[in-house]
This record gives sequence, C-alpha cells and structure tokens, in this order.
Amino acid sequence: MSIPRVLNKRNRILLSELTRTDFKLRYQGSVLGYLWALLRPLMMFAILYIVFAKLLRFGNDIPHYPVYLLAGTTIWSFFTECTSQGIQAMLTRGDLIRKISFPKYIVVVSSTMTAVINLLINLVVIVIFALINGVTPSFTWLLVPFSLLELYALSLGISFLLGAINVKYRDVMSIWDVCIQALFYAVPIIYPVTMIANTSQLAAKVILLNPIAQVIQDVRHNLVTVESITTWNYLSNPVAMIVPIIITVAVLALGAVYFRGASKFFAEEI
Amino acid sequence: MAKRKIGTRREVRNDSEYAIEVEHLNKSFRLPTERAWGLKQAIFNRIRGIKGYKDQKVLRDLNFKVKKGEFLGIVGRNGSGKSTLLKILAGIYYPEKGTITVNGSLVPFIELGVGFNPELTGRENVFLNGALLGFSNKEMAEMYDDIWKFAELEQFQDQKLKNYSSGMQVRLAFSIAIRAKGDILILDEVLAVGDAAFQQKCNEYFASLKGNQTVILVTHSMENVKRFCDRAIMIEDGKIVHDGEPEVVAKEYMSLFK
Repeated sequence: MSIPRVLNKRNRILLSELTRTDFKLRYQGSVLGYLWALLRPLMMFAILYIVFAKLLRFGNDIPHYPVYLLAGTTIWSFFTECTSQGIQAMLTRGDLIRKISFPKYIVVVSSTMTAVINLLINLVVIVIFALINGVTPSFTWLLVPFSLLELYALSLGISFLLGAINVKYRDVMSIWDVCIQALFYAVPIIYPVTMIANTSQLAAKVILLNPIAQVIQDVRHNLVTVESITTWNYLSNPVAMIVPIIITVAVLALGAVYFRGASKFFAEEI
Repeated sequence: MAKRKIGTRREVRNDSEYAIEVEHLNKSFRLPTERAWGLKQAIFNRIRGIKGYKDQKVLRDLNFKVKKGEFLGIVGRNGSGKSTLLKILAGIYYPEKGTITVNGSLVPFIELGVGFNPELTGRENVFLNGALLGFSNKEMAEMYDDIWKFAELEQFQDQKLKNYSSGMQVRLAFSIAIRAKGDILILDEVLAVGDAAFQQKCNEYFASLKGNQTVILVTHSMENVKRFCDRAIMIEDGKIVHDGEPEVVAKEYMSLFK
C-alpha cells in the first residue's frame, strides 16, 4: 500500500470525522465537559505529589521536582490512554467494521487521537507550570515533540499488535491492564532514576533501555532540568543507547504488518 | 495462525458493459466448535490437536455478471448466503476463492444508519454517516438540505438522535442513503421504510432508478422483485439455482415454501 492511498481523501475525512465524534462523546453529559481532559491528569499528579514528594520525600535533590513529576505522570497517562483506547478500538467500533468496507487502521488511529489531543492540552499546562516554577526557557524545549512522537509510534505499534489479537482473544485487554500496572513501577515516573542508581547502576541502566523510560527522561532533561539522567548520558555503550529506538521501530513494524494481515478477517471475527 | 486462502476483489473503472463480474466465488466461515473464544481454550485445543473450528461452506462456485444500469434482485431463504454475497461484493468480507471485479464506485447499504450515535444530534449524525459513506463535508453540505427535506424532519435537526422515534431515525438514514450517488448501489432489504406516505415516496424513488442506475437488491418481497428488477437470481444453499426473468424467479421462490 503506497502512502497516497493510505492517506487518500476518503480516509482523511473518515479519520477526522471519527476523531471528532470520539472527542465529542468522551465527556458527553458531564458538567465540566472538556475540562476533565485537564483535571484528571492534574488530580492524579496532585495525589502522587502529596504521597511521594511531601510524605515520602522523593526527589528532594532534583530541581523543579513538581514539574519533573508532572511531566512524568502526563506522559504516562498519555501512554496508558493511547494503548488502552487503541487496543479496544476494534471492539468499540465493531458495528462499523461489520457493515462498511474501509481501512481498519483508521479506527485505531482515530481512537488514539483523543489521547493525543489531551496530551497537547496538558503540555501547555506543563509549560505554564514550568515557567511559574522558575524553569528557564531553552532551545532544548523544541526537542520535546520528537520524544513524544517516538512514544506515539510505540503506542500505535502496541495498539495495532494487541488490538488485532484482541479481536480473537479478548483476554489480551485484561493481560495488558496488568502489564500497565507492572510497567508503572518499572518506569521512573514517581521515583527518580538516581534512587535506583544509588543502589544498583546496572538496574538503572536496564530501566533506561525501556523506550517509555527513555522518552520520559528525555522530556524531563530537555524541558525541566538538564540534571536528569537520560539513556544518552547514563549508558556508555553506543549499542545499548539505541536499544529503545530499535524496540520502538520493531514494535511499530511488527504491529503494522500483523494488523494488516489480520484485518482482512476482522469483519468476520468481531 | 494458519494462513487462509484469499481470492481477489478488484476495483476498476473502464467502459466494459458489466458493472460487476463474479467468477467462481467460494466462501466458507470458520465457526468455533466449542467455546474457542479465549486464550485458555485456544492453547488447550492446540495441545490436544483440535482445530477448534469447523469450516462452514456458505457460497459454492457462484458465477454471474451484472450489466451497467441493470436492477438485479437476489432472493433466497434465510441463511442461503445472500447477505454474505453482498458483503463480499461490498468488500467487507474477503472472498475465499474466485475473482470479483467491480467497475465503478460502489455504495453499500448493508444496514441503514451505520455509525448513528444516539448521543449526537441529527446534524452531527448526518455528517458522520456521510463520512462513512465516503463523502466530504463539502459534498455533504451540498446535499444537506435535500436530505432533511426528503426525510421531512427539518425541525429536528439539532435534537439528539436518542430523542427521535425509531421511525424518524430510519427515515433520516434512508434519506441519506438515497442521496448517496454511486455507480453501483447495494441494498439489503431496505426498500420501503416509515409510514404509508413515506413508503410511497420511497417506491417512487426506486421506480425512478430503474434503467439508469445499477442496483443490487436483496429482498424477500416478491412484489418488489417483480416491480423493480430487470433480472433476479435465486440462491439456495450457497448456489445459484435460478437466474433470469423476475416473474419466473419469483414463482420459483414462492414454490420453495409450499
């Protein structure tokens, strides 16, 4: 399938119309409406901040720790929202798949778009937070979108792969929920990497091979404080450094290929 | 996962005299035998060497051609394979074996109002449904007033769909459907909806299509077959058993139930 066909006029219209519908329906019937897109991650941040920064005294040695934490939780929320919506997409849009012929990847992409929009809104909040907290604006801020793009590619790859399997075996979603819980602790969101590095340098290095950890640390490094440990400044082996990128590309490629093959039978199996 | 065989479905645009050509079309479905619907059962079946599904033949070696401008009726009992055939023509299912050539743009109505969402307003639903059928917002805006006028529901445009009666919903969906201009129209039992007055309007519309639009219609109404169709096909047990004059096929169909 060539690029012009993938993004032809009909597919673009369908993508934008489905995205708009999803976004409109997400906060239907709630008083605060779209405001929840902002409030939810901020509330999650507030809980984590009180528990970990105030009670457990994490991150005392990190400058601008609240912003540092907020960047982490926001990116994590994006990843979980993106993947869980993406994996479920085939089932929630089953009625369309059974009755109309169209490229199925549109359903996956459109269902992740709400998460993308929420991320963009929250990014504005992070920037405002950072400025209030006294972070000096820097040209490295311009690198942040590339890191987020990498994470989106990973999320799409996971959504394609697990979403396609989920059509046949609904257990996938339950398994993924558990994986998300485990990943939350395997990624340095609430704890600073230095905490791990102080006990075991090897463990810190292994953690930084995870693309999610790499993206979160990159964003923190480029947006909040240059004192953040990243995959690039902590790992010395150049081969190890590109492992997160390799994982991302591999997951996206595998997901896309598997999805393309399996999608021919979605209409029969859903 | 075992590789499954796939036939071909081509979309072309040329001056051929035929709008649709179907050659040696076969289709079977994999039906799970026990509850093979889950990872545990799938692994269990694999260990025990059980396939976990059986192949159900639905269409067996169908061959037919539809001329441009022809109004073709497809009849048959429930479960004879009519809807599967339509879904394959529409590109929703893949053919298992055989070749299908579709010449021109095809607008399928397997069901009216696909994607209709009760929480959206009538207006929003019209644009969503239009996008699903492949129309741009600009094209939809051009047809917009006509759609509401035909449905006779202008005053409800900005009401949520959940506040419409079921008859009103189906009228709106139908009005979108008949505005959708494609070279080939595929309809699954959606001829006349609404009350008597609206049905009359629908019938007049279909009569006007005869002779200048390629239509494939699946129906159980022999009255409609005789009134609208130029030709009819009867499917029984996945095979074409009659292909010809609507009157003759309608009579054969009625004799099935004697």
